[in-house]
Amino acid sequence: MNHLLIMLPMLIPLYGAILSLFFWRYVRAQQLIGILAQVCLLIATFLLLFDVNDNGIRTSQIGSWPAPFGITLVADLFSSMMVITSAITGMAIYLFSIKGLDKARQTFGYYPVLLILQLGVSGVCLTGDLFNMFVWFEVLLICCFVLIALGGTKPQLEGAIKYLTINFLASGFLLTGIGVVYGILGSLNLAELAVLVRTPVSHPALITMAGMFFLIAFGIKSAIFPLFFWLPASYHTPPIAISAFIAGILTKVGMYALIRLFTLIFVTDQGLTIPLFTVLAGFTMVVGVLGAASQNDFRKILSFHIVSQIGYMLMGLALFTPLAIAGSIYFIIHNILVKTNLFLISGVVAHRHGTFALKKLGGVYLQQPFLSVLFFISAFSLAGIPPFSGFWGKFMLAKAGFEIDSFIIVLVSLAVSLITIFSMTKIWNEVFWKKKPETDPLLNVITKQTHRDNRLLHLPVALLAMFILFIGLYAEPVVSMAQLAAEQLMNSELYINAVLKK
Amino acid sequence: MKTVILATAIRILIPIFIIFSVYTLFRGHNHPGGGFIGGLIGAIAFVFHTMTHGPQQTVDTFLRLNLYGYPRQPNQSRSLYLMRMMRVNVWRRRKLARHPEIKQRMIRIEPIYIIATGLLLSATSGVVGLIAGQPFMHAFWTDFYIPVLGKPGTPILFDLGVYLLVIGVVLKITFVMSEE
Repeated sequence: MNHLLIMLPMLIPLYGAILSLFFWRYVRAQQLIGILAQVCLLIATFLLLFDVNDNGIRTSQIGSWPAPFGITLVADLFSSMMVITSAITGMAIYLFSIKGLDKARQTFGYYPVLLILQLGVSGVCLTGDLFNMFVWFEVLLICCFVLIALGGTKPQLEGAIKYLTINFLASGFLLTGIGVVYGILGSLNLAELAVLVRTPVSHPALITMAGMFFLIAFGIKSAIFPLFFWLPASYHTPPIAISAFIAGILTKVGMYALIRLFTLIFVTDQGLTIPLFTVLAGFTMVVGVLGAASQNDFRKILSFHIVSQIGYMLMGLALFTPLAIAGSIYFIIHNILVKTNLFLISGVVAHRHGTFALKKLGGVYLQQPFLSVLFFISAFSLAGIPPFSGFWGKFMLAKAGFEIDSFIIVLVSLAVSLITIFSMTKIWNEVFWKKKPETDPLLNVITKQTHRDNRLLHLPVALLAMFILFIGLYAEPVVSMAQLAAEQLMNSELYINAVLKK
Repeated sequence: MKTVILATAIRILIPIFIIFSVYTLFRGHNHPGGGFIGGLIGAIAFVFHTMTHGPQQTVDTFLRLNLYGYPRQPNQSRSLYLMRMMRVNVWRRRKLARHPEIKQRMIRIEPIYIIATGLLLSATSGVVGLIAGQPFMHAFWTDFYIPVLGKPGTPILFDLGVYLLVIGVVLKITFVMSEE
């Protein structure tokens, strides 16, 4: 039962994708299989979370090969929370894609690729083996490349090439880092590596050097400060259902790997890593939010905000106290939901008005008051206004920062929050409040069908908004779970004992 | 690239390639070989055939099955009809192929279905372990020994899945590239 529960978050998307391949020509059947898979995935991830919450860290050895030799699957609270968030997001994206994505793209294997992308997310989160993690990142990279390039319009191909080139480089760094780690320590099992780096005979300088390879690799993948330029250049090109999922999940998966490795393995030289992370976090936040402030396109503003929010997650890792890590975890969960939702909202607006440019949009508040409320919830969550979810994440991070007297990074993060509010109000003013600029009425005729579809597109947005409201207004269980997860991350003995069964 | 030498040679080579690929597939558990390399060797046969005769001919020769027959009579029992159709399609194929008007339907095996079958086999070989309460991909072996194939067990299923997957992918790539 134990083994089954850990495998299910991977098996369900895998089988969903295989069945979708069998129904290659029947998009309806693929949609049905997809929705079924999403529902099952959601249930399975909830079961996994409850199981891990009750019984502590769960492990499974693939093929019954014992721990340092075979591939281990590990489900602790952090990974099961990631998996569950990815399942919720996947559900919303699926519901959105049915009406929100053009038929041509749907017939060219969109649904199987999306399911394999989710398989990759589950794989990265649940694996306990360094090389296996690399393989899952490759799965993510390939799926993302296919999804960004799907349809083959000119801007899409341009974005896809940028995305692929830079991420290829990141994979190279990752592989080099893995090679170096294996050369120094002779193991790839995360738990055994954690044991080995803590023994006195290990070489701390070499291990820190290997850690920098991982920092660069995951830094590119999760778009931290000097390495983020590919993200705003590629994320706004594909259709909204695709870019929403990629934007919501992918960078956070890189962040997950960074937090996992730098709490478990590369902890030997914290005199170097912690100041480095602090500087990177500060610059990531500031540069991201300034980039967003200068943009005039709905999606580009949101793309730059991804970068800015990554800074907060890195800030938790930089402060390196249990509360700060808990803040990071909460922030990742919150940010996946909110960012996906904002992208989906921009998609709903564009579905109705045919553009993402702020100048040409307007008057949505009068036409779609319900959508405006949903945007209000998500945008103010992103900015961190008290009753909503972003506030709790930022509050935990700021409190952790004050506790260890890191005032500068906390002040930077609070200032960045203010500028975040500025860009959110910019979107609000331009898209929702401003009067719609006069355009040729024949240019954008809204048929009854569009109208009906548009109403259906509200469903996934409302679903995500419900979850955002839940983790904001009823933050207690999520926050305490994030704190438990942070405890598990900070006490590496728990992880090591669970895997190596000492 | 239609040359007589290649076209003649490939007719003899195709069975050799396929038999050798199956042999490589099954010896792979204890010796060098396995599903991936076996699949590649098997795919060479189809790649060569496509090179000499073009993709359409390859599909017609290997990946298509014409079923012949007539519609069921109103008072004919369903099982009797099925049996007759089976007999017709197994024994009388040559004769019926000369009458295109009674061709009823055509089963075409797309590479994508080969890929999907391969994936399904591989994934399912792992799930067997889960059903028995063991970890994913836990291997189960039978006790008896088959001369060429070795001991049958669930990892063979996995290799077979990889074999089909590789053949499917190479076929798909070949067809797409040769159509351009």
